Amino acid sequence: MSTTAVPREGTRRTGDWARRAPLLPALIFTIVVTQLPFLVTIWYSLRSWNLLRPGSGQFSGLDNYVAVLTDTQFLGAAGNTILITASCVLVSMLLGIGLALLLDRKFFGRGLARTLLITPFLIVPVATALLWKTTMFDPVFGLVGFALSPFGLGDVDWVSSYPVASVVTALVWQWTPFMMLLVLAGLQSQGRDVVEAGQVDGAGPRQMFLFVTLPHLRRYIELGVLLGSIYVVGTFDTIYMMTQGGPGTASANLPFTIYQRAFLGFDIGQSAAMGVIVVIGTMIVATLALRLIFRTFMATEEKLS
Amino acid sequence: MRTATTGRPRQRRRWGWENWVIGAGIALLLLYCLAPFYWMVVSSLKGPGEIASNSLWPRDPTLVNYRGVLGGRDHFGYAVRNSVVIAVTTTLLAMVIAVFSGYALARLRFRGRNLVLALILACSMFPGVAIVTPLYQLFADWGWIDEYQAMIVPNISFALPLAIFVLTTFFREMPWELEEAARVDGCGPFGAFGRIILPLAAPGVVTTGLLVFFAAWNEYLISSVVSITLASNPVTVAIAKFAGDSEFQQPFGSQMAAGVIVTLPLVVLVLLFQRRIVKGLSAGGFR
Repeated sequence: MSTTAVPREGTRRTGDWARRAPLLPALIFTIVVTQLPFLVTIWYSLRSWNLLRPGSGQFSGLDNYVAVLTDTQFLGAAGNTILITASCVLVSMLLGIGLALLLDRKFFGRGLARTLLITPFLIVPVATALLWKTTMFDPVFGLVGFALSPFGLGDVDWVSSYPVASVVTALVWQWTPFMMLLVLAGLQSQGRDVVEAGQVDGAGPRQMFLFVTLPHLRRYIELGVLLGSIYVVGTFDTIYMMTQGGPGTASANLPFTIYQRAFLGFDIGQSAAMGVIVVIGTMIVATLALRLIFRTFMATEEKLS
Repeated sequence: MRTATTGRPRQRRRWGWENWVIGAGIALLLLYCLAPFYWMVVSSLKGPGEIASNSLWPRDPTLVNYRGVLGGRDHFGYAVRNSVVIAVTTTLLAMVIAVFSGYALARLRFRGRNLVLALILACSMFPGVAIVTPLYQLFADWGWIDEYQAMIVPNISFALPLAIFVLTTFFREMPWELEEAARVDGCGPFGAFGRIILPLAAPGVVTTGLLVFFAAWNEYLISSVVSITLASNPVTVAIAKFAGDSEFQQPFGSQMAAGVIVTLPLVVLVLLFQRRIVKGLSAGGFR
């Protein structure tokens, strides 16, 4: 690539806009469909607007934000979001590292095992939720109850007794393969020479892992944690399908509460205010994630340009 | 383990022991990943008399659940058709737009390129729930409720960032000298791209297309808001109605049959294209 980059330098100025042209359709499309509606969301969030109160819709400044931030239901949902996201990302990352270490070795049927292991990630999340809610956790038909019946736990209704833990279990099942793939990409990018140098210096397998492999994987683990957090925070379908945020609001997270407030409570203003708060939170994490992506995947590129 | 202790050289013994542990670990993890699927398939094949019996395989396999789901009054078949139309259209349109952008980002140099890439990636991290209400209002004003485009347009915009990023990483590995050579031989810029680069990039394009297809097939939140009647429901919304709303509550066996019908195409695609999908996913680090 560096060989072709050199003659290109000369024409750099003249074609600047022609070069950007192929990007325009994608940029315009993405911005029009995601960012313009978000401006509308901000606009909504500044109005007192409830579809059940005719005549409402006047400008109300930051009232919605005050109302939302002092709302115990919102605070509970925010707490649940953090709890669900943190535990899901942590557990699936640990399992993912374990899986990646296993899959990094050569063994018979490795390709097949890897494929089977990533399938949970590609399954329709709505079906995943259904799978866990009924196939696994159902007190009558579920596999978990069946497997635990010798221990006297056969007829526990897991989803209503432990709603958050049930949701996290389903999410961990879904996200472990994602973490595994990232860590595996990291393991396979580790240079043979580094490993050999470590062995020559007399490091045992455990020392090798702690002092050579783990530092190398750090970036990939960080990336997995950040991207996983961004996506898991936005989880809606799993919660909607498994618990409907219940019992009560015990397992409601922010996306579910936003949806509920807008489409069941018809309070567009407050729902929009919550949406804006979620976006601000996501942006903070996303900025960190973007920096990491550029350092991890663009590193070679930056050296060239 | 017992065979390993019968006086073999030290090196071999240690390997034998390790392999046993690894083998057991992999078997356990495969069980963890596959048991839910297995149970879903088994339950969908059990008749009403057997469904509560918790036997590990169907003693009297029957397709009665599938017949109920596909032939019943709710016509799950329609939902499958809707999903196919929506996901295929999304994939084709998104890929046409993304190929141009990926080419530009990988091949052409201009100021602000990394900024553009960052902007596109930032959009992929944007939580959909923050824009559902305005989208609903807008589509309602345009008369788009229950129309395919109300799901296709948001799907494309959420798929584009992923597609562009994965394609850019693929395009970077292309032998661009060939393009130069084609131009010297008299191909125009589009000719060189279409005849030389695109065929070479086909594997990357197919991989990316599959990922976009999966994302569109799996989308739920926006569809659940803009698609109300059964005639336009994609599979995700139809399944949620099966199991969530009491109005449409279906027997357990039918729910499982619907789950299998929705899952099967994806599992087949994954098995067919496993290598490419793994490569695409690890290149992008995205869903």
